[in-house]
Amino acid sequence: MRKIALALLAVAGIAALGLAVVTRGAGPSAATASSHREAPLISEDPAVDNTDVYAFRSPDKPDTVTVISNFVPAEDPAAGPLYYQFATTARYNLNIDTNGDGTPNVVYRFQFRDSTPVAFLRNTVQPYTVTRIENGRSQVVFNGNTPPNNIGPRTTPGYRQLAANAVGSLSSGGSVFAGQRDDGFFGDIGAIFDSLGFRRGTGNAGGGKDFFAGYGVHSIAVQVPISSLNAQNSIVGVWSSADRLKLTVRTVKSRVKVKVRVGGKLVTRTRVVSRRVVGNQFVQVSRLGNPLVNELLIPTQRKDEWNRGTPRDDGTKFINFYREPVLAALINRLYPGVINAPERDRDDIVQVLLTGIPNLNNTGAVMSDQIRLNLAVNPSAPVGLGNRLGVLAGDVAGYPNGRRLEDDVIDISERAVAGILKGNARANLLGDGVDGNDVTYMTTFPYQADPFSGFDNTKGQQKP
Amino acid sequence: MRTRIAIGGLAAAIIAGAVLLGGVLAGSRETASARSTAATVPNLFGDFSAGNTASLVLQLQSGLRARPNEAKTNALLGLAYQQRARETGDPSYYAKSDGVLRRALRTEPSNLLATSALGSLALSRHRFREALALGRRAVALSPSTARSHGVVGDALVELGRYDEAFAAFDRMSTLRPSLSAYARISYARELLGDFVGAVQAMRLALDAAVAQPEALAWTHVQLGKLFFGHGRVRAADREFRLALAVFPGYVYAYDQLAQVEAARGNLRRSIALERRAVDVVPLPQFVTALRDLYDVTGRKRQARRQDALIGTIQRLLAANGVKTDLEIALFDVDHAVRLPQALELARTGYRDRPSIDGDDVLAWALARNGRCVDALHFSKRALRLGTLDATKFFHRGMIERCLGDGAEAKMWFRRALSLNPHFSVLWAPVARRYSA
Repeated sequence: MRKIALALLAVAGIAALGLAVVTRGAGPSAATASSHREAPLISEDPAVDNTDVYAFRSPDKPDTVTVISNFVPAEDPAAGPLYYQFATTARYNLNIDTNGDGTPNVVYRFQFRDSTPVAFLRNTVQPYTVTRIENGRSQVVFNGNTPPNNIGPRTTPGYRQLAANAVGSLSSGGSVFAGQRDDGFFGDIGAIFDSLGFRRGTGNAGGGKDFFAGYGVHSIAVQVPISSLNAQNSIVGVWSSADRLKLTVRTVKSRVKVKVRVGGKLVTRTRVVSRRVVGNQFVQVSRLGNPLVNELLIPTQRKDEWNRGTPRDDGTKFINFYREPVLAALINRLYPGVINAPERDRDDIVQVLLTGIPNLNNTGAVMSDQIRLNLAVNPSAPVGLGNRLGVLAGDVAGYPNGRRLEDDVIDISERAVAGILKGNARANLLGDGVDGNDVTYMTTFPYQADPFSGFDNTKGQQKP
Repeated sequence: MRTRIAIGGLAAAIIAGAVLLGGVLAGSRETASARSTAATVPNLFGDFSAGNTASLVLQLQSGLRARPNEAKTNALLGLAYQQRARETGDPSYYAKSDGVLRRALRTEPSNLLATSALGSLALSRHRFREALALGRRAVALSPSTARSHGVVGDALVELGRYDEAFAAFDRMSTLRPSLSAYARISYARELLGDFVGAVQAMRLALDAAVAQPEALAWTHVQLGKLFFGHGRVRAADREFRLALAVFPGYVYAYDQLAQVEAARGNLRRSIALERRAVDVVPLPQFVTALRDLYDVTGRKRQARRQDALIGTIQRLLAANGVKTDLEIALFDVDHAVRLPQALELARTGYRDRPSIDGDDVLAWALARNGRCVDALHFSKRALRLGTLDATKFFHRGMIERCLGDGAEAKMWFRRALSLNPHFSVLWAPVARRYSA
């Protein structure tokens, strides 16, 4: 979830952040009247915190579709580049719905292992496995390694080549990458934090400061042949999710029959076996389809539930948050009389986020939060050069038809919520003043640039 | 700022030098290892610069100048103040947090964040019944939010209602497995005497702390304490060193390494490490550990200085709404200070905190006052979950000895020592003497 959440939170009354008080109680090893152990108020499990999902037809290989999902927000290259990594007991999923029912038909599941020797010894390479699950049937399609994190020219020299070498081939067709990247997202979080107080008026005139400049993320990405997806009506829906293992306090005991040798004879005995990790039970802890939904539309008390959910259920469980977006009310409060965003009956928003746009990427009646991509629409520009306002500016190869790296989803979302699709021209006044990423994307997969190293980091710098 | 300063300057020193709070007073070295491990988290709120809670507080405060009653901003500021209390040790942040959280609830009585943050605050202040009520209220507001179940479970543990507490932890883990959930489940398993399961849960917690250096360091320290409590000194040492590797200068790791060195008989080195922790943040549990180290090395004058410091910290905590009756009782009982009053304090503390730890402190206080029949009742209660805890075993041995059952007493002393021969710099030697 984008940390923009926090920013808006303070002004919007949309709590986006799940601070958790970690306690582990007083150790009995403590043997005292010790208090429960208060531990850090921590941010949400960044290793499975999904910041952005992108899905687009690859401009350099138009017969393929690229799906990218970023985790571990705001990796500061100068602060502990060794600590950023993927979780090793979690599962990371790229979910693709090929028939519009809001459930995945094809899943690319990434599972990582610890690097050996461990990161403390400056090894941030993580082995990983990709499993492709198509309609319930799974198949391991890749085994390989991430590149190391970009630490600096002495520790990780020749980083471009290291990263290039880490692009692998899926046995089911296509390419795969997992590892550290420059965060392709851009936005003026500082200004948004300050009561959506954009640096110039309502923000549509540029001059913003890209708070994501110079920060890294951990990215998983596939580039697969369109033909391998068997999409109905050429439209796919994409979202990303991550799961963690469920634990229970008490062990689950089960009886098993074992053969033991008693006096030279094999006899069957029943033994009680304890298992602690209950089966292989994973709980989904994070999901992301359309950008900013989790932060801007879903209220605090429903966030865990939303993150645990499947898009299929969005229409029944969460429809009101889409139909009456709180962001609209916020915009009206912050710019009274200036924007006049419609606050109710926002079927236009429901359409964009939950069903798709008619004659472009509509997937039918099931309402589900996914990034919908009409694969029949040709890429309109090389990577990074599409119109940042996408469909709003007539570039139908961009968001909300899929999502490209260059799509300015903050401006698009603000304007959409402000009612641009309902003909409210004042919506165009809104923007955060940051219109593109601080570094150029690469022209080939995995597209997001190499991460800055701690040595040459430029985080938070003013965008020219 | 150093703690070796004139007593008169102590209060100022504490505030300036930052007592990381959440802690409690304690007697034995073991106790010291058990305490709250608050930690600063650089990425709190996903802010973009490390350790930026102070600037977050400023931002939120300036937001409130424009809209003083905005519920969410007040709720966030309440949480940020709690974090500041942890970072600076200044317990007056608790009172501030209380103020803004209540203001948030005046504006928006059903604000989930403010409600559960007040629950966390009540836990920090050891007001467990209040915490339970707030946690329950948060659960009612949003049954599907994992965090609120954690507040409920923590409160229930301290109130001695373990089955309900463990059900709350299970619910939390079902709703959203996380560092918080894994760490709680680990603790519950430890209470049940399931050491292997507790270690396993902490390993998952380590993975859920990835990419958060301080949380990761905290988790390593917790796992290390678990090992130490079961006599695995080398494994514990490794975890404490890993904590320092991911988060250099981590005071909790220095405090724990001091225990490792003490276990290895390197008392001079142990004192140096503990002083290092105390000099950065004079937490009561660190000061107590240092006090006992001075005591056992014959440096009585330095030990008494720490006593005075502990008293001052105690008054600061009390002034900011933190209940520490049980902790003071334990300290006094351990150090034979005003034993009859200590027993009364233990009873008062027990009413607020009828957990197995409450049982144990009350048992120990009764025993040290010669009330060994009553003490046995509470010692049995303290061990009713099957918890493997050398100090509780030792207390039981002392009670059996007092009751005249020498064989039973020796069995408990041996149990304590075989579980963890280094469970206390003060009491492990006593256990050794009596077990022979």
